[in-house]
Amino acid sequence: MITDLLSTTVLIGILASGVRLATPYLYAAIGETFSQKSGVLNLGVEGQMLIGCFAAFYVALTTGNLWLGLLVAILVGALMGLAMAFVTVNLHAQQGISGIGFYLFGLGMSELLFQRLMGTVETVRGFPKIEIPVLIGIPFIGEILFNQNILVYGAYLLVPLAWFILNKTTLGLKISSVGENPDAADSLGVSVARVRYFTITLGGVLSSVAGASLSIALLNVFQQNMTSGLGFIAVALVYFGAWRPFGVLAGALLFSMVNSLQLWVQVLNIPIPSDIAVMMPYVLTILVLVATVSRVRAPSALTRPFEREE
Amino acid sequence: MLKGRFGGFFFQLIALLLAFGFVSLILLSVDASPAEAYKNMFNGSFGSMRKFAEVLVAFVPLLLVTAGLLVTFSSGLWNIGVEGQVVLGAITTTWVFRYFIESDLPPALIITLAILGGMLGGAVWASFTGVLKVFGGVNEIFGGLGLNFVATALTIYLIFGPWKRPGVASMSGTVPFPDEFSLPLLAGLRISPWALAIALAGIVVIYFILQGTYFGLRLKAVGKNFRAAYLLGIPTWQYSMYSFLICGALAGAAGAVQVAAVYHRLIPSISSGYGYLGLMVAMLINYNAIWAVPVALFFAALNIGSIQLPILMKLDSSLSGVLQGVLVLFVLLADGVRQKFARKA
Repeated sequence: MITDLLSTTVLIGILASGVRLATPYLYAAIGETFSQKSGVLNLGVEGQMLIGCFAAFYVALTTGNLWLGLLVAILVGALMGLAMAFVTVNLHAQQGISGIGFYLFGLGMSELLFQRLMGTVETVRGFPKIEIPVLIGIPFIGEILFNQNILVYGAYLLVPLAWFILNKTTLGLKISSVGENPDAADSLGVSVARVRYFTITLGGVLSSVAGASLSIALLNVFQQNMTSGLGFIAVALVYFGAWRPFGVLAGALLFSMVNSLQLWVQVLNIPIPSDIAVMMPYVLTILVLVATVSRVRAPSALTRPFEREE
Repeated sequence: MLKGRFGGFFFQLIALLLAFGFVSLILLSVDASPAEAYKNMFNGSFGSMRKFAEVLVAFVPLLLVTAGLLVTFSSGLWNIGVEGQVVLGAITTTWVFRYFIESDLPPALIITLAILGGMLGGAVWASFTGVLKVFGGVNEIFGGLGLNFVATALTIYLIFGPWKRPGVASMSGTVPFPDEFSLPLLAGLRISPWALAIALAGIVVIYFILQGTYFGLRLKAVGKNFRAAYLLGIPTWQYSMYSFLICGALAGAAGAVQVAAVYHRLIPSISSGYGYLGLMVAMLINYNAIWAVPVALFFAALNIGSIQLPILMKLDSSLSGVLQGVLVLFVLLADGVRQKFARKA
């Protein structure tokens, strides 16, 4: 019944899983924030996530070492990021098409490898929950925030770190200047190519880690196309968050909380039609998109390849 | 030799060969024989009339989506929301069929209404992205992505809610429509000549609009230089909206055909990713409508051919996705190299 939702245990359950489910969105969307800030729209996030998702899972499954799985996901993500950077920066390709190319490649490749190397769905024991001493003792909040696994903590630490880098460091200034006015940045001696190589590669690594967080920390399983559009949501979250890490955090939490609520509604068999619950996050996205319309402005050079005038 | 149309073609051919070479390496690394895989794919798509008919079934929506996207690309818009527009076309077509299911109207009329309804549905959905873009300043990529999610969620809602099968709703979709609601199929095959005709008519009309009309010329002017077109007195926002509406209508037609000639009901993954595939085809052909038919046919053949692989070789049908993705990246590579050459010359 609907009053079940209001009991403390259930409320804690909903909030705790909401906090946990935001993890992949956070990694992927923070990575995408970096590349979009530098003027590069990477639509290949979904493909990079799927490859990372599979790589981490397969290594963890065969070696039994979760950290090795994560490391391989990082390396594979860096490799895909470098490839995307090469196509974008050196070949001046239209960013949309290379992104969709990477998406199809990642989708197909992860399925192909899954079929060839595993064939059946298996599970691993993912990263265990870690209770943070002292903080876990805080009533209510402790259970929600401080009893999660390491990749969840990592995702939340990434947000202030990204904010600091983007707003308080020279590197952050260079990234914004390359995204706003690459010609001016170039004439002041900032290497547009190097900055974009850095942001796109970072984006690849974080997307791959986002995928890994699904397969070895949250769901602990690999299935074909298991990100099911999450990477595209991450791209939209960057817009939603107005290219600010804390804005992205707010968007990711909104999404994951509604998702978590919807899952619990189903579990508790509450007579809210579950199909309406499934639609909620999406309708919410559109409403917020419309509401944020006039407030934000994209980096001026977003999607524009940079070519130095000779 | 490296310049002009032939030069472009030469580089595309090299890109194609390199892509197949690269995918062969991938196949070898997972212990599968590339030669056997390609042979099975070829036989799977061209081995018999029945198989080729399947290729055409995939070709029809892909060509329609590509034709629509040529219009939005011409006016400088990145209509990634095309995926959702296909879905809405399918939904409205299903709705029209359901509305007339008890009526005495001739089936031919109902089918016509259903397909027109699908086109209208797609166009209305595209207009949302257009309004967000033109009046709200929301980049069409973000607006389109958001609307794609809503379209998918709407499909799931309808299949599990108001339109669910009597008894238990399932991922297999709504109740199939009676046979007279199907576009007529060729005897013993799954392809409808009417669907094929709609798709070919779509690309021909778009070709003439873009190449031979004042409207097309102005549309391209908006795409090439938005500000200059505006200063020349072209009502740019209207042209942006027109191109969304045209693309939406064609995408809607693709969705309508999926319902009226292929699945005969609404299923959760009704768009089958043709929207994203269409984006790639449109860009691979460099927005040149002439090449739409052969390239869309090639992509459809890859998709259908690879479906045979899991049964025959314990490979996944996803090989077509790998091939298509790699092909795009190599075409970009070849294009980059060609431009370097062109600059030196």
